[in-house]
Amino acid sequence: MGAEIGPSNIEAAFLLEALKKGTRVDGRGIYDYRTLKISCGPTYGLAEVQLGQTRVLARVSCEVTRPFPDRPTEGIVLFNTELSSMAGFGLDSSRSSTQEVAISRMVERVIKQSRAIDAEALCILAGEKVWTVRIDVHFLDHGGNLIDAASIAAIAALRHFRRPDVTVDGEEAIIHDVRERNPVPLSIHHTPICVTFGFFGSAGDMLVLDPTLLEEQVQVSSFTITLNSHREICALNKAGGIPLSPDQIQRCTQVALAKVDEVNEKIQLALKASTA
Amino acid sequence: MTRPDNREASHLRAMHCSLGQLNRADGSAQFTAQNTSVVCGVFGPVEAKVYEEKLDRAVVEVKFRSDIGSSTTKDKWVESAIRSTFEREILAHQHPRTLVQINIQLRESDGSVDSAAINATSLALVDAGIPLKSMISAATCAVLSDDVVVVDPTQEEIDAARSVHTFAFANPVSDSNKQGPLYVDSRGNFTMDEYNHCYDLCVLAAERVLAFMRTAIEGKVTKEAKINTT
Repeated sequence: MGAEIGPSNIEAAFLLEALKKGTRVDGRGIYDYRTLKISCGPTYGLAEVQLGQTRVLARVSCEVTRPFPDRPTEGIVLFNTELSSMAGFGLDSSRSSTQEVAISRMVERVIKQSRAIDAEALCILAGEKVWTVRIDVHFLDHGGNLIDAASIAAIAALRHFRRPDVTVDGEEAIIHDVRERNPVPLSIHHTPICVTFGFFGSAGDMLVLDPTLLEEQVQVSSFTITLNSHREICALNKAGGIPLSPDQIQRCTQVALAKVDEVNEKIQLALKASTA
Repeated sequence: MTRPDNREASHLRAMHCSLGQLNRADGSAQFTAQNTSVVCGVFGPVEAKVYEEKLDRAVVEVKFRSDIGSSTTKDKWVESAIRSTFEREILAHQHPRTLVQINIQLRESDGSVDSAAINATSLALVDAGIPLKSMISAATCAVLSDDVVVVDPTQEEIDAARSVHTFAFANPVSDSNKQGPLYVDSRGNFTMDEYNHCYDLCVLAAERVLAFMRTAIEGKVTKEAKINTT
């Protein structure tokens, strides 16, 4: 009980046969994303991403705290992802499987360790007061490829977020109420976006972009590449599965480059729509 | 007296809801009152774990997750409040040895969160087709420091309020004088008169919320019926 029941043999065989003919079960091309819907607001720092049947909610918030003693001039970025039972019955953070941990880790690493957020811009008074930015990612519906949806939601929420303005007068920091002075956006260096591929067949010779839940259960290996809009690679992740050739990685990177531009455009549109 | 959002004291915020937007859940609903928004996903009746199953009835489990930060004691309190409210209204004996799991996720909070959560849960249970004795609707009101009572307060009003009251009623709400409320949560300093006044206001507000929820469900059912006949 509780554990995910995989697809039946017939379903899996059908998926593989169709893929051999270049068709996917849901009718997409192998390099197509599912319909991506991003909505931001009305509250600052709220973004909901719908990627086909997958639904992820990201919420960004901030508060004033003391900095870490070894980094007195840097703000703190906290990340919280929980795979809740809402996303699918039996999924629970208390007994998370390795796969679930991997998802949370990946998204956290992409945002935090690629230093997407300018931590020094979050400093108010060195050694005294800094902003702690908190990103909560809630998975509402698990329809496969949570990593991509979560990274898009987190980036959209961060870009949508506004923190209260602060003025420093000597040793005094005044935090202005949102109604008193327009809140300011976070300083974000770049926007890393994850693009995930699933590999099928005994040699991993068939690949698809944005695997659905069914495809995730059948795939023999997965590969996530994280790129930003400057066409830089921020993270690569291929944890386990069958070995892949360097050619395949090259091919994935080329496809991912095009997809990241599309996704960034969509985020831009969603942000514009929320302010209009 | 003007409220920050220019509502009249007895006016609810504009409500919005959508049903069945989650795919994995058996039933789901999103209930929004301007900047307070809650998503609820219901699984059930599903197989219960051996150690928690009850031989004669379904077990109701509620999980509440806040929008910001990990779960706190207050979230646990909301969980137990919602569970005890709905446990009596779900016809649990029809599904013995099973589990009904209610997952509530707060999207954004701007006051009156517990009543929004109850309303969302009610809608999601109907969407999931869980047998219910009746639908439940809830409303919140607050007594401000100048003795003015406002319905459906925002967070700003709650922070300034002397007392805050939330009531939930079974359908039909007008019978509530005989039946009494299903859920009461009163916090702060208040007199009995104030309490009674809040009760009456919440009865009216809950009636309106229920009417709204009914139209939402009717809309969805007629839409589905049309698809089936064509």
